[in-house]
Amino acid sequence: MTRYIVRRFLSLIPTMFLIIVFAFAIEHLAPGGPFSSEKKLPPEILANVLAKYHLDESLPKQFLRYMGDMLRGDLGPSFRYKDFTVNQLIGQALPASMLLGGLALIVAVVLGLGVGVIAALKQNSWIDYATMSLAVIGISVPLFVIGPVIKLVLALQLKWLPTSGWIDGRNGWIVLIMPVITLSFPYFASIARLSRASVLEVLRADYIRTARAKGLTEATVVFKHVLKGALLPVISYLGPAFAGIITGTVVVETIFTIPGMGRFYIQAATNRDYTLIMGDVIVFSLILVVMNFVVDVVYGFLDPRISYK
Amino acid sequence: MRKSLVGLVVAASLATLFFASCGQKGGSGANMIFNNGGEPQSLDPALTSGVPEARLTYSLFEGLVVNDPQTSKAVPAIAESWTVSADQKTYTFKLRNAKFSDGTKITAQDFVDSWLRVLDPKTAAPYAYIIGDSVEGAGAFNAGKGSAADVKIKAVNAGTFEVTFVGPLPYAIDMLTHNAFVVTPKHAIDKFGADWVKPANFVGSGPFMLKDWKPQDKIVVVKNPKYWDAKNVKLSSLTYLAIEDGNVAYDKFKAGEIDWLADDSVPPAKIDEIKLRPDYQVTAGSSIYYYIFNVTKKPFTDVKVRKALSMSIDRKAIVEQVLKAGDIASAGFVPAMAGFTTTKGNEYNLDEAKKLLAEAGYPNGKGFPKVTLIYNTNARHKVIAEFVQDQWKKNLGISVQLQNLEWATFLDTRQKTHEFQVTRAGWLADYLDPGNYLDMFKTGSGNNDGLYSNPKYDELLAKASSLPAGDERNKTLEAAEQILITDDQAISPFFFYANKSLVDLTKWSGVYSNAMDIHPTKWIAKK
Amino acid sequence: MKADKAERVDAQVNEFDQAMKPVSLWADAWRRLKKNKMAFAGLYIVTFYIVVSMLAPILPIYSYEDQVIAHTNLPPSLRPAGEVMIETRVAYMRKVLKAEARSSFNEKEEAEIAAMKADVAVNPDHKRVYVLGTDNLGRDMLSRTLYGGRISIMIGLVGTITATLVGILLGSIAGYAGGRVDNFIMRFVDILYGLPYMLIVIIMMAVFGKNILNLFVAIALVSWLTLARVVRGQVISLKNAEFVEAARSMGASPARIVFRHLTPNTLGVIVVFATLLVPDFIMSESFLSFLGLGVSAPLASWGSLVSEGANTMELYPWQLLVPAIAMTLFLFAMNFLGDGLRDALDPQSKNRL
Repeated sequence: MTRYIVRRFLSLIPTMFLIIVFAFAIEHLAPGGPFSSEKKLPPEILANVLAKYHLDESLPKQFLRYMGDMLRGDLGPSFRYKDFTVNQLIGQALPASMLLGGLALIVAVVLGLGVGVIAALKQNSWIDYATMSLAVIGISVPLFVIGPVIKLVLALQLKWLPTSGWIDGRNGWIVLIMPVITLSFPYFASIARLSRASVLEVLRADYIRTARAKGLTEATVVFKHVLKGALLPVISYLGPAFAGIITGTVVVETIFTIPGMGRFYIQAATNRDYTLIMGDVIVFSLILVVMNFVVDVVYGFLDPRISYK
Repeated sequence: MRKSLVGLVVAASLATLFFASCGQKGGSGANMIFNNGGEPQSLDPALTSGVPEARLTYSLFEGLVVNDPQTSKAVPAIAESWTVSADQKTYTFKLRNAKFSDGTKITAQDFVDSWLRVLDPKTAAPYAYIIGDSVEGAGAFNAGKGSAADVKIKAVNAGTFEVTFVGPLPYAIDMLTHNAFVVTPKHAIDKFGADWVKPANFVGSGPFMLKDWKPQDKIVVVKNPKYWDAKNVKLSSLTYLAIEDGNVAYDKFKAGEIDWLADDSVPPAKIDEIKLRPDYQVTAGSSIYYYIFNVTKKPFTDVKVRKALSMSIDRKAIVEQVLKAGDIASAGFVPAMAGFTTTKGNEYNLDEAKKLLAEAGYPNGKGFPKVTLIYNTNARHKVIAEFVQDQWKKNLGISVQLQNLEWATFLDTRQKTHEFQVTRAGWLADYLDPGNYLDMFKTGSGNNDGLYSNPKYDELLAKASSLPAGDERNKTLEAAEQILITDDQAISPFFFYANKSLVDLTKWSGVYSNAMDIHPTKWIAKK
Repeated sequence: MKADKAERVDAQVNEFDQAMKPVSLWADAWRRLKKNKMAFAGLYIVTFYIVVSMLAPILPIYSYEDQVIAHTNLPPSLRPAGEVMIETRVAYMRKVLKAEARSSFNEKEEAEIAAMKADVAVNPDHKRVYVLGTDNLGRDMLSRTLYGGRISIMIGLVGTITATLVGILLGSIAGYAGGRVDNFIMRFVDILYGLPYMLIVIIMMAVFGKNILNLFVAIALVSWLTLARVVRGQVISLKNAEFVEAARSMGASPARIVFRHLTPNTLGVIVVFATLLVPDFIMSESFLSFLGLGVSAPLASWGSLVSEGANTMELYPWQLLVPAIAMTLFLFAMNFLGDGLRDALDPQSKNRL
């Protein structure tokens, strides 16, 4: 097990390296550059700008320069937001996304697992149908509909909440309510459906039958055995989902004007802000590969039947 | 897993609390909340080129002259008055006693330093060309071919600044309202480097100064007590929000969380509702929406095809039934200005269009080659393209393929590879002058995306650039527009945008709708 | 419900002494699917959608691209468009009156109304009936939604099928083989996750241009990643189970163990996960449309209709509700069908019904 963990951990380094190399190639291959605009820059001025950001150098040279800076922890200046470095921008945006994403994920996991397990245990009851219908709505109605509808009701009609904005002394924490509901809804729905299916599967497994046959109480069976097994697919799903939700979702951030990573990511890609794209990719990928690593390790603890060769 | 999550959230919450507590409230008096439509690229006037940046520059910096909020014409700012030489090339400005926000006096040398900084190739200012093209010796310095000493700007003494232009520029004074010409504090820039525009280090020359800046969220500026005209600045602070989505901004406006939405934040999809609001303002604008034909690609090499296609579009229907927002249909390209009349162009005329198409060899659209119309992804461009496609199909029997492209790809296709047949474009002049609209269609010009070329046109523009303001110049430019639009139909203009805004004028004064959509903030006050 | 539970316990007990009938897996599954009412309803609805989508060109509906510019933003109605138009426009003019604090129409407005009435009397266009209303260019929402469904259903199904096949294949190989193979496949998955998808699509678009194949490739490219991870996890947890050991000791080949024994046992989770993916693909298409790779205007997809409708939901709610309900109903049906399939295909419940 320890050997597996060490080897698995070391494999993160080449993975990250390959992601960085490919992402760097991809962003430079994409048509357009960071300084195109509706009014085209005259060639002399474009030359000045390219020189300032070293974009006139050969690609391998640019890459080596970038890698050198990056390994020292410097993600470079943003090409678009010229007064900031990528470190500063991410330093501002990531906490907002993490707070929102973290809260949404907690809500989604707690409610999703609860609902999923109950629905499975009461399969084909009204509670099963009702919660699963809600879940299907959650996965089939897109965020850009759920968000504005919630806003229309809670902020514009009932006037209970400000329509959008981010925490500052005046608005306080209530601004989090609508984005958290919106963002958690689809994750809640997916987790509920997945855990229900997974619990149903486990309920039929031999070891559960054995446990029941041994005369353990239903509660013990559910909490000690069923839940553990049922968590596996949910956790597989959560690895990437965690990375995605924590690094921001552009739709929710746009609807509720949250200064997070999701908006930066889309803007960076649209503006070909090379350094900011790389910064986003690195942060996202790092969280992702680490989460997937954690998930793989957690597997071993959760399911006694798993053994890594 | 859950434990680590909780840890993260706590850490993130603490971070947010920390950020939140950093932001302090402005002083007493009125604060206005304005949606700036996006995160500015920079607060350094030398590094900016877009609209959100320009709006901030109006608050934070000032130049020799500034736009009047009603007419957009230049009015004195740091320059108290000026004289013009006999050849109309040299302008001498008398500066008033003005100070930077840190109390340092603003001298003529500060203007020299500021302009040279914009021109310096190392600064890489996107708008350096506006100085480079107009001030003698400036273009060469900016291109790295000349020296700073040869740029014809000089501080005659602390209170007198002199500039020599390349010709008798009739629009010189209006042009000087542009961002690129404002005065910036060399002493602060030398001291803080790139961070001089951060709230802690900020030194400005405008009616307001920078207080707080949270990227993607907001920028707060407060009244600058050292400003030369501080007694006439009524607002104590202004908040610029960075909301890109008009629907979101409009919701905020409806809920009373924003005081003022400018044109780019008024959502076109909700125009039927917005038009009914008492706080909705609309005025004719001077930016033009048009389609470019690539004159080097078949079948648009044939002027008859270009004319037929242009004449078969019902522009009135576009503005009245598709957009419904008060935009003004026009087959001409340059907006009417003092002494200059917009050409009528080739207006909607189906019989003539059909005849021209038949003459070009495609009677009733028969045999017309496969044509693709490209536009960048945007609801307004899409609905116009769909309407135009339908018009060409119904009126001429031509099927055109629509292709939307993501912004950077679109610009690359239109400006660099020119691998398109028809595309959309828009133009807003940097300053109100017909030349600023027509120059870009000169042979080989950087913004001549349709690769139009006509020696006669080039000749007329060359002639106009040597003429002083007046009738002859206007007539020459009118003739040029006539060639470009009516004779050659290199482009097909659709309409002039109306400048729309939402602001309650019973509550706020000093806010005006104007043709250039330029809104200096100095005179805004709460009633 | 109590009876239900009792029955299940009963079934579990009786399992051992039931006679095994030699029925094929599929026939057996079909037999059980038919007994599940919700699933069967789902099957009907999905079939209905697919049939209607295929028949769209020959159905008696208006063209999805035909614009009648006078008929913009008309609400759903069974009456002729002319009447609805006059009603809608006059209602709006009344609002203008109110906003401007006037009590009666001015001459221009009167003339406008008269002109409209005159046109309705002579122009046959005004006899059209828009059962589900019109959009911002006066196009029939019914037809647009129907045609939108064609592309969205196709993308949903093709995407899900590719995702499921690739995901199962790579996920089970990684899970069963373990070690280096597992590490290689899963790190490949990580890399694909990490790369900037939007830019990849932009490059694909620039290199291969816009075509349906390119669209499917773009959708399929990243669709299978999470599914592969889920399948791998399930396979790892099952690969040391008794029944797998039994198969192994009987000399079954790894391929047989994986695809005959392991995969079927993870089918429940896979089917549910696959149905979760359908809406993702439908929405991905609208993101790809944004980048220029989706459907070309004036053709629309459910994704683009819903996203446009969301902007005008307070003014013209039908522009959101029509495509949104059409889509949600389809996804509901897919989910119940998915659940039914899961139950039907479950090898453990084989002898229960």
